[in-house]
Amino acid sequence: MKKQYLSLLVLISVVPLLGGCWNQRELTDLAFVMALGIDKGEKKKYDVTYQIVEPSNVSSGQTGGGGGAQGPPIVTYKSSGNNLTEASSNVTKQIPREIYYAHANILVISEELAREGILDILDKLERDTEFRTTTTVVIAKDNRAEDLVSTLTNLDKIPSYKFIKTLESTESLLGENIKVTIDDLLSAITSSGKEPVISGFTLMGSPEKGTSQQNINMTRSQALILADDLAVFKNGKLVGWLGQNNSRGAVWLLGRMKATNVDFDWKGKKDAVSTISNLSDTKVTFTVKNGKITANINIETIISLSEINRAFEIKNPNEIQELEKKTSVQIKKEVESSIKSVQKLKADIFGFGEKIYRQHPKLWKKIKGDWNNRFAEMDYQIKVKTYYRESGIRDNPFWSDINQ
Amino acid sequence: MEKAKISTKQLFALVVLFEMGSAILVGFPKNLKQDAWIANLLGMAEGILLFFVYYRLYLFYPNLPLTGYLQKIIGKWPGRILGFFYIVYFAYLSARVLRDFGELLSSTIYTRTPIFFLMTLLMLTIAYAIQKGFEVLARVSELFFVIVYIMAISGFILIISSGLIHLENLKPMVENGWKPIIKTSLKETLTFPFGEMVVFTMLLPYVHLSKKVKTVCISGMILSGINITIAAVINIATLGVDLFTRSSYPLLTTISKIQLLHFIERLEVLFMLYLMIGGFIKVALFYYVAVAGTASLFKFKDLRKINLPIGILILLTAMIIAPYYSEHIVEGLDIVPIYLHWPFQIILPCILLVIAFIRNHKKTAKEPAP
Amino acid sequence: MSIISKMLKKKQKQRKNDNYRQKLDPSDPGELLIHRAYQENLARIKEELGNSSDLVSKEIKIGNIHGAIVFIEGLTESKVISNFILESVMQTGEIPLGVDYYQYMLDKTVALGSTKTITNWNDLYDSLLNGDTIIFLEGYNKAISGGTAGGEKRAVSEPSQQLSIRGPRDSFTEMLRTNTALIRRRIKSPNLWTESMKIGTVTQTDIAIMYIKGIADDKIIQEVKKRLNRINMDTVLDSGYIEQLIEEQTYTSFPTTYHSERPDVVSSQLLEGRIAIVADGSPFVLTVPAIFIQFFQAPDDYYSRFDLSSALRLLRIIAFFIALVGPSLYIAGTTFHQEMIPTTLAIAIAAQRENVPFPAFFEAMIMEVTFEILREAGLRLPKSVGQAVSIVGALVIGQAAVQAGIVSPVMVIVVSITAIANFSTPVYAMAVSARLLRFVLMVLASFVGFFGIMVGLMIMVIHLCSLRSFGVPYMEPLAPFSRKNLQDVFIRYPLWAMKNRPMHISEGNMVRTGEHQKPGPPTQSNKDTSQSKKGNQQ
Repeated sequence: MKKQYLSLLVLISVVPLLGGCWNQRELTDLAFVMALGIDKGEKKKYDVTYQIVEPSNVSSGQTGGGGGAQGPPIVTYKSSGNNLTEASSNVTKQIPREIYYAHANILVISEELAREGILDILDKLERDTEFRTTTTVVIAKDNRAEDLVSTLTNLDKIPSYKFIKTLESTESLLGENIKVTIDDLLSAITSSGKEPVISGFTLMGSPEKGTSQQNINMTRSQALILADDLAVFKNGKLVGWLGQNNSRGAVWLLGRMKATNVDFDWKGKKDAVSTISNLSDTKVTFTVKNGKITANINIETIISLSEINRAFEIKNPNEIQELEKKTSVQIKKEVESSIKSVQKLKADIFGFGEKIYRQHPKLWKKIKGDWNNRFAEMDYQIKVKTYYRESGIRDNPFWSDINQ
Repeated sequence: MEKAKISTKQLFALVVLFEMGSAILVGFPKNLKQDAWIANLLGMAEGILLFFVYYRLYLFYPNLPLTGYLQKIIGKWPGRILGFFYIVYFAYLSARVLRDFGELLSSTIYTRTPIFFLMTLLMLTIAYAIQKGFEVLARVSELFFVIVYIMAISGFILIISSGLIHLENLKPMVENGWKPIIKTSLKETLTFPFGEMVVFTMLLPYVHLSKKVKTVCISGMILSGINITIAAVINIATLGVDLFTRSSYPLLTTISKIQLLHFIERLEVLFMLYLMIGGFIKVALFYYVAVAGTASLFKFKDLRKINLPIGILILLTAMIIAPYYSEHIVEGLDIVPIYLHWPFQIILPCILLVIAFIRNHKKTAKEPAP
Repeated sequence: MSIISKMLKKKQKQRKNDNYRQKLDPSDPGELLIHRAYQENLARIKEELGNSSDLVSKEIKIGNIHGAIVFIEGLTESKVISNFILESVMQTGEIPLGVDYYQYMLDKTVALGSTKTITNWNDLYDSLLNGDTIIFLEGYNKAISGGTAGGEKRAVSEPSQQLSIRGPRDSFTEMLRTNTALIRRRIKSPNLWTESMKIGTVTQTDIAIMYIKGIADDKIIQEVKKRLNRINMDTVLDSGYIEQLIEEQTYTSFPTTYHSERPDVVSSQLLEGRIAIVADGSPFVLTVPAIFIQFFQAPDDYYSRFDLSSALRLLRIIAFFIALVGPSLYIAGTTFHQEMIPTTLAIAIAAQRENVPFPAFFEAMIMEVTFEILREAGLRLPKSVGQAVSIVGALVIGQAAVQAGIVSPVMVIVVSITAIANFSTPVYAMAVSARLLRFVLMVLASFVGFFGIMVGLMIMVIHLCSLRSFGVPYMEPLAPFSRKNLQDVFIRYPLWAMKNRPMHISEGNMVRTGEHQKPGPPTQSNKDTSQSKKGNQQ
């Protein structure tokens, strides 16, 4: 009896093994997609550009061929299709390896396509088991996504890193852009009280030169990728851009400000002071009076003095208060202009609707349908509180001594 | 019945792992959106009440498993037939959980591997454990308990340190009133997983210190209930209501969002395998109970002889119960709770308890205490 | 069924045939007795030993009586024989009449510490083959056996396998008595009991069972004796033979008995209530029952401070795990779960593998097998060649293979880490099981990646939990869990906190450390204690 079981066991375990190794893929059979660029197609609906890494050209030396990167670290392939699946099937005609999305960390959508609507591309990206929904999305401003994805970059050999790291550093130091992932995008799109906002990227210089390896051999790049502005979406379509100053205000309102510089005049000298605000907190509450909703925006932030080109008495509490006050006023100005410009677009990128839903769920049910119009007419009150902390490693500036 | 004795610690580990098993994977009532976790908590409270029914039955017959005392309560043949239905019910649940985990594997990472192969591999492991006997299973559960907890805590720390938790996603609480929550808790979260404690009616006679059974089981249920609730809260807080309701496996989606230092990311595979541990215990317990029940009904002395045939039956059942995953889930949410869980977990045990109470009352009345 | 039963019967028959005994058939008592005529006896010995050339017999005359001495050359201490037997025999003058010659010999002539009287041939061969000298006297149907055992033996030397930084430096030898003495020197308690038996129908190997009465569990002692008595085999050349015949489960790759060449380790095991089995001719002493975690406890752990030794023990356990799953993780990671590897690393590995012609599984197999061959060869090679070979091996594995594009550098790293990790397990028997299971896991990983590894590890855990060593669950005290016994598992508690012996092994007499043993700075009562010490000395 026991032997029969044993043979059965062996049979069960062996039969499937004969079928082969279904999910097994060698690293060398994979084409690692690092970035995906989606443009409006010429013949079909989409043109998709795949930025694929060439491993042996990235990691330096020792392997076989005799040292050093020979060709460019990436190659790009382009294919077209009426949906993403078709495009990714078509691209296999050109690529000798299997397309592998798991390491893709940037998705570039061209402005042209974004203006027509991006909803149709999202399901594939979310559903695919390989694709990471933590992938960052950016919009190619004034450019084709293809050009952005094909440009070689300095410092980071793999261009997709350049996108990510640039975005991260501007987000954490300048506060004009934010990193938006596919997940964030989707949750904003599905929420009725929030509209998505995505960072823009643009290409400076000639797209043609950017694809040549010469571009990275020069100290001054011929083609440069840079983060630029925030794109505002409504109903899955790009409806406008927030310029430099308005972007910053939007980031304040989104509560995602990590650090930024605030410049203002001091004693008659234009832009004489620059403070850095670290650690900030944005709270938005709503009050309803006579059916009119008012947003009370409270921003608190800690500032440090970064630069002052005027005489200044650091031990004088009045001067410090003045400093705090002027910073607050400046921040308030930015936020205000940002709200105004967004209200014009009638797209609630700040998620005010969502906040109302959480704070006043009953009210929200009534105003839900007409929210974007109500948002455009909404009142707001902005209060900014700043707390001065430090001033670098000097007390009074040298301006105090030269008495100008 | 096998001659096995397990300690209360082992019972505790078994209860916790069994309860968390697949519930931590799919046991969140998504229709309640941000209030799902409340239903989990309510389900636990109701489950504990229900457990007292099973416990009373156990107190009447502390040395007999369910299949044994069924025959005492409602007579030999009716008891046997009902016992047989219970065995089929357990085997079916075992197949369901097996399918849950098979689907998990095949829809996330082993997309091109036949689900049958994956389930076979898992089933072989479980069959091996059962071949070794219940004591070994209990000991294994102790080790797994520690592993599961280390993994759970590290996952928790990773999620928090990735800054993923946005507690405002839980608001507004009880948006649509308590009625839907209570309804869902009775239908879904009570029967799955807490009502499944009915399995332990077959296992409690093995416990060494029978006095502590009540506290150990209930504390195990509370711990697992809290864990499931925490998992629900974390899922909702991390994913937001929309993504939470749209993901097939919310916990895995949550884990996939972990990104730390550009290095620790894409941990789904690791955590999925850790979830398999819970699945292992859950399938194994249902499976073991089916085997032990069959053995006691048909008077087999050696459990091991019927282990493999029943295992293969469960495996095949898991294959054929549903053609695709969504039907499997729909069955699990709409049909199984009402037509299977309610009768077998709640109605029948309650009736049994009443009859047992009357019978034992009569007995004591007839034979007055000396 | 019928075929099997026939085969079984055949086997039984064969066994009966094989089961011949060197010893004489005790059913014929006349044959067993020693003959009165010494020449008869001599002739018989010569005949039965096949006139072996190492058998020395010498006829002697003591005073007025004839006799002979017989011994086996090489097993005996020749100085002892010449000084204390031959010389005194020759100096013996006339033996006065009326005296029992035999008694006279025993009392006055043979100047040895241990002498005994032998009346039958079985005992005679036992003594003779143990190195005793037999003295026959004309007219007596008994013989004197003088303890002259000796001859060449290896001196006590440093342990060669279980090394330690700190701690005693002696190790067991091949001599049973030396080994028991080494243990007894460490435990000077009358409760250290030794029981002897002989195992091996042909080899007649001496076995000693040692345990501390009152600490060791009587049930386990009985079980050990039962299992040892059950052994019916012609050969016992090393304690390894005994190990394989008394373990509970043969079909396992994990050792269920512990063995050590260090007397200090064996003594500490005895003090925990374990039972030692010492076999003559083997420098490895077995101790039972053995539990899993025991194989990660190095002697150093107890000689150095607890913090360091706990950290090192954790390291050892992690290393064991690495040795187990290292290559299979590599296979699973590179062929199934490429998404889990951080992007930069994935690209680096991909670049390295670009020129490797084999799939990852075969690459790993080639390297692992190569390494195992090298290791095995290194073990067998004469010491003088060994070094040269290991250099060649290192070159082959390390550089040439990479440069030739057969394997990738990452693979070399993985193999080396695995190999080094494997060496950190203190007991070879456990290390070797990781070595073996590694290949199983590699195969599983090549089929279904991490899930395969997971299934493999799960089965391993189930298997470990099902094992028992002399009734003690192998995974004690983890499963079944016991908090009290955790003092020597992952973390070795400070010595003063290890108050009790492991509960699952010993029985009774549980307390091993007194109260208030925690050291600290001198306190007020210091004076009092010093005074009381003085008092004790007086």
